[in-house]
Parts: sequence; C-alpha cells; structure tokens
Amino acid sequence: MDNYVLSSSFYCVVYNGQCIKANLPEGVDFENHTICFQNQKPVEIQFVYLLDQNESMDINIVIKEHVEVQMIETKIFENHSHFQKKIYVQESAMLHIFSENDSSNEEDIYVKEEVFLQNDALCQCGYAELSDGCYDGKYHYYLQGEGAQAKVRMAVLSKKKESKHYEVFIQHCCPLTYGQMDNYGVVKDEGKLIIDGVGSITKGQHGSASHQTNKIMVFDEKCVAQANPYLYIDEYDVKASHAAAVGKMDEEHLYYLQSRGLTKKQAMHLITYGYLKPVIAVIDNKMIKERFETALSKVGA
Amino acid sequence: MSTLVIKDLHVEVGEKEILKGIDLTIQTGEVHAIMGPNGNGKSTLLSAIMGHPKYRVTQGSIELDGQDVLAMSVDERSRAGLFLGMQYPQEIPGITNSDFLKAAMNARLEKPISLFQFIRALDKNIAELDMDENLAHRYLNEGFSGGEKKRNEILQMKLLQPRFALLDEIDSGLDVDALRVVSEAINSMRNDHFGCVMVSHYERLFELVPPTHVHVLIKGQVVMSGGYELIEKIDQEGYEWIKELGYELESQEERKPIILENCGRKDNSYHG
Repeated sequence: MDNYVLSSSFYCVVYNGQCIKANLPEGVDFENHTICFQNQKPVEIQFVYLLDQNESMDINIVIKEHVEVQMIETKIFENHSHFQKKIYVQESAMLHIFSENDSSNEEDIYVKEEVFLQNDALCQCGYAELSDGCYDGKYHYYLQGEGAQAKVRMAVLSKKKESKHYEVFIQHCCPLTYGQMDNYGVVKDEGKLIIDGVGSITKGQHGSASHQTNKIMVFDEKCVAQANPYLYIDEYDVKASHAAAVGKMDEEHLYYLQSRGLTKKQAMHLITYGYLKPVIAVIDNKMIKERFETALSKVGA
Repeated sequence: MSTLVIKDLHVEVGEKEILKGIDLTIQTGEVHAIMGPNGNGKSTLLSAIMGHPKYRVTQGSIELDGQDVLAMSVDERSRAGLFLGMQYPQEIPGITNSDFLKAAMNARLEKPISLFQFIRALDKNIAELDMDENLAHRYLNEGFSGGEKKRNEILQMKLLQPRFALLDEIDSGLDVDALRVVSEAINSMRNDHFGCVMVSHYERLFELVPPTHVHVLIKGQVVMSGGYELIEKIDQEGYEWIKELGYELESQEERKPIILENCGRKDNSYHG
C-alpha cells in the first residue's frame, strides 16, 4: 500500500480512514474524517486515499467561503472496498480537482462522491479513470446556490475483462446555475463500460444551463459500451444540450494521419491520446501530466 | 531524379468505376496540372495514388522508381515520398498541430528530431506561410478556417519534403493574398528532386505556379495532354469544345424531385 507517488509539496495520505502521513499548509486541518480548508492564499494539495480489501471510508471536505484550492487525488483501492466522500464548497469558493484512479483490483469497488455547491461556488473536476479492474462510481453534484457551477470531465478506459459503470449526476437546485459534463470513454478487448450522464433542473430554477457530452470509442468486437444521456427539465427558461455516441475510431482521421507517414498503431495512439487528454486541462501540474501520459500507454493502441 | 509511373489505372468507388485506364508519367522537376469538369475523376486519381481505403484499384499499376506503390500501406506511401494535400483536411480534436507535425516528421527519421530543431523549422515555415503563430498549439485543423486548413496542408508539405506532392484543389478557400503565399511556397519547393501534381478549377493558381504539363481528365480518362495553352483555352471556353471533339462529359448527379411529389400526393389524398 505504498505504491503511490507524491506530486505536490503539500499532501495527506489517508489509509482506511486514518491519516498516516501529512504535510498540510497553513489554514488546512484534518480532524474526525473532515478536512477543512480556510487558507488565505490558493493552495495545491494532494490527497492519497488507500483502502484495503473489504474496508470502507468516509471523508468530508469543507472549502470555506472565498477559498481557492487545487486538489490532486490519488485513489488506490482493493477488492470490495467502499469509498464515500462529501465535499462542501461554500460561497464563492473555487475548487479544481484532478482525480486519478490507480487501483489494480479484480473485483468490484464502490465509490460515491457528492459535491454540494453554494452561491457562486465553482467546482471543476477531471477524473482520470484508467484503473485496472472493475469499478462502480457515482459522482453527484448539487448546485445549491445561485451562480454555482460544476464542470466535470471524465476519461475512462475499460479493457481486458473489466466492467465499469459511472453515473455522473448534476442537480440544479437553484436558479442561474451551470452544469457541464464531458465524459469520454475507450473500451477494448472484452471490456464493458456504461456511462450514465444525468442533468436535472427542477421547476423554478430559471436561467440555468445543463450541458453534457458522452462519447465512447470502441476498439474490439467483444466490447460492451453504453452512453446514456438523461436530461430531466421542469422549467422553461433554461439552456440544455446533450450528445451521446458510441462508435469506432473515425476511419478518415486514421487515413489522414497515416497519409503523413504515421503507422496505424501510432495514428491510433495519437487519436486516443487526443481523445482522453483534455481531462488533465483542469490542473496545471507537470508531474501529473507526465504521469497521466504514462498511464495512457495502457490504452496500448 | 525520381519517376512516378501510372499505367492503365482503373479505380472503383462502391460499384462504380471512376477511373477507366489512366496513363501518366511524372518526373521530379515537373509540375503537372490536371483539369476537367467536376465528377470526372480528378480527386479520385490523387486519392487512389495515396491509397484511400474507399478507392479500389481493379486494374493497372502505380510505380515509384520501380517500387510497387499499390502494394504499400498508406503510411508506407507517405514515407516513400508521396504527399497528398487534401481538399478537405480532417479536424482531429485533442491532438495539437505541433504534436502531430512532430510525429509526422519523426515517422520518416531514424533518430527523432530535437525539440530545438523542430521548433526552428516550424517557426520559420509558419512565418513564411504568414500563418497565425498560435496554430501550432491549436488542435489539428479544429476550428481552422478554410484558408487556414489549406495553408496547414502546405505547411506539412514543406516540413515533410516529399518527392511528389499531390495537391487537390489547394487553392479553394484561399483569398488573393493567401493564394499568393501558397503559390510562393509551392514554387520555393520546385527543384530537380520535387515533382507536383495539381488539381484545380482556376487558371489563377496555374498562372502563379506554371505547370510544365497539362492534362484534361474526362470520364475517367486523360483525353488530352499539352502545355499551358490548354489552360488558357479552358479558361476562355470551358469544356464545351471537348464535346465537339467527340468526348462525352460525366453528367452531374441526377436530380430527383421526390419531396415535392410526396407532399403533393399527401395533400391530394387529404382533400380527396
């Protein structure tokens, strides 16, 4: 359980719910499963979450008013583990998360994350889901204050006999809220991937916008892939859009790259890389970018 | 000096035969212009030489210095020295122009180009083509204007230094200034080690990049070859005079007035 890499000068390693190693910046405290951010200046910090087989952990994170945080998350979970996380982003706070899943499990892992955003709070999250193993992830965002914004980007790879299911849900509970998700997946071998994108605007939440794109690229015949967009809207004065597509790599794209001398393998790698790469744009950390690029070699296209 | 020899080339798209026996020999140092009305096989010829999977060669041969081009994959053809400047370049999200260009250059080098050399070559050519400096960092052709895409094709040609460039309507979408810049770039490449085949509808491009050979392609066959005088004649008189020589032109796709007919019928049955 020590196969993680620290990529930030501030960090906190949480093992089965206990903090085992930490270097926290001023204004950041960890007590009773709750991490509270009251830092004056913007900080970058890495959280490493480690879970043994059959273990579970609950974590709460509070980002106080007007606080800015860049967060790198590394998740390494074992079979049948349960991870639950709640994040409270208070008024006008800004939270950027890059979340990498480095688990290499064989059986299911269950993850539920809920993010609650107050007035004018922003949460932008990039999930790099390139883990080896099965996974069931629920990522829910609740826009509970006017002007709250949630932007989610996900890059998933399901390969070999892995079965992965993701539910990204954005609930607009207030007027003038903004939700956007872009979920991109690649499935190869006998992998299975289901992505449910859900946007919900209840009555009275005028001036809100809910956008989503779900795309899955399929490499092999035995793959199973589903991209399901759901939009529940009970208000007239809103903007909403959705797109969902499951398909093979574009033949014309391949031809174009090959006509410049790239082999089919190189061309496929470049296209896949370009397809999943935007997820790292949420955070500006060179080490993370390099690690993500290395992890992408798992695509092996 | 290199030679590209096309013999009795027949090409089908789907069930339809588009090229019906093309013979053409191009040497480095030469610039060939291919003219002809829409839908007669000009783009098909260039795409078939490059190896687009949609175009099926049913007969004939293409050889580059004696090497069988038809036996090569698309990327092998590129590395052998063929380049196709496309009419509709693809937009590929997520891949930056510079990552793509570097990968393409490295594909034909034994040792990867150093970052310094690459940036120097790129900056120089971007300046010469009067392109937006940011293009290098933008995603490949994504959101590029028509003219930017065409210039990007020429940029690739300059960086990859092919032996034979096939340019498919490289002038479409270019304004007067851009056309001049692109023409200068093509001219700057002209030498004994570079040959070029250009397809265009407009005399203007050929004025700026004067071809050494001109061919007229009708119904999948080269019906006439000559020099610059052919371009002038076509520019003044169109292709009608070719009909008088006994050649039939490929007609444009048939029009079927289905929609109106259906609406009319529905209306009738409603009233009747």
